[in-house]
Amino acid sequence: MTGWIADFMNHPATYLKSGWFQISVTNLVVILLMLAIFALAVLIPFPKDKDGHHK
Amino acid sequence: MSTVKESFDAAPWKGKTKRYDIVKEGSVALAFVMVLTIILSLFMGSPDETPLTFKGWAVSNSDNFYATAVQELAGTSGTATYGAPYNKAADGLNLGPLWLQKWAGVTRPIDSVNDFVISPLSTQVMSTDIASALATWNSATAAQKQAWATAYDDAITNAEGKLADVPSGAYGPVPALAQGLTDMAKAGALDAALLSQGGFFQTDNTKQILFFGDGAYLDDAGTAANLQGGTWGMMNETGRYPGQAWLWLYSFWYQIPPFNNEESKPIGANADAYIMAIMGVLSLGLILIPVIPGIKTLPMRIPIHRGIWRDYYRSQAIRKPKK
Repeated sequence: MTGWIADFMNHPATYLKSGWFQISVTNLVVILLMLAIFALAVLIPFPKDKDGHHK
Repeated sequence: MSTVKESFDAAPWKGKTKRYDIVKEGSVALAFVMVLTIILSLFMGSPDETPLTFKGWAVSNSDNFYATAVQELAGTSGTATYGAPYNKAADGLNLGPLWLQKWAGVTRPIDSVNDFVISPLSTQVMSTDIASALATWNSATAAQKQAWATAYDDAITNAEGKLADVPSGAYGPVPALAQGLTDMAKAGALDAALLSQGGFFQTDNTKQILFFGDGAYLDDAGTAANLQGGTWGMMNETGRYPGQAWLWLYSFWYQIPPFNNEESKPIGANADAYIMAIMGVLSLGLILIPVIPGIKTLPMRIPIHRGIWRDYYRSQAIRKPKK
């Protein structure tokens, strides 16, 4: 069922480089997603029932 | 004698309780990740690089394959001079007085001459030239074999790998054997011949990978795919797929001095051993966080948990009697 997304993924990656530091855009996206999920886990309030108690 | 804090901690909870099912939470998380993985794999597939084969190497860079075959016969290739676990040609990596590689011993013996060249050639239906070269090689003394192969290997090195510039000399059957192996690889027969050395169900690719590593083919492919250790390759995957981002710290050490200079002794030359030791110490530190002074009290100075349980701490603040 793989289509154009798989074709896109199998092309050479783009790398960001600064001095000795180098990272692929894909790895950077994954790391940023992980940080975003961590931030959401901290910030999003716990669900509460109608009485205002935590479920 | 217990302290007030220990008594408080040991006392039964008298506040409100709530039903909580950790198995349910784990199951929901597992199911969510599983569905996400299936959906992503359906659309994105998996890395689909063209396989590296001896045929591909011999066809795309015939001279390099030929020169590598000569190195295997002369015992100057990376595999032949590696040391344990393949042979005793070198002491290998050390960590100060700890000779880790040498002490582990030769557990996977590889004879580059026979395993990579003579045995594969012997499995084929040979031309008269190759059969004659093999017979000459097999009947020669070890010293004579070494002299032929070393002379030819030196001549190729002096010609900077340009076979056409190699002068004639006392190379014995070595040129014919190298040409025979190159022709065999071009025909696609070497991959199977190397793999078939062993049991009936053969899944051990050690010999192929070592032979690949001795030439430029695998190295060039690694460079092209950004998989070299010196360019954070440990973190990367082929194509645009995400790699092993969690190996960033392991990969980091290889980018900085003295680890990034193989010529630097003792650390750079033994970077693998030193970095493994550093990561071992850091991993131990991670395990021991709860008992390391200064680190164990970090949550008091960086109270992220108070953000997560802010409702609780807010209610506690309200209930706390004013002094």
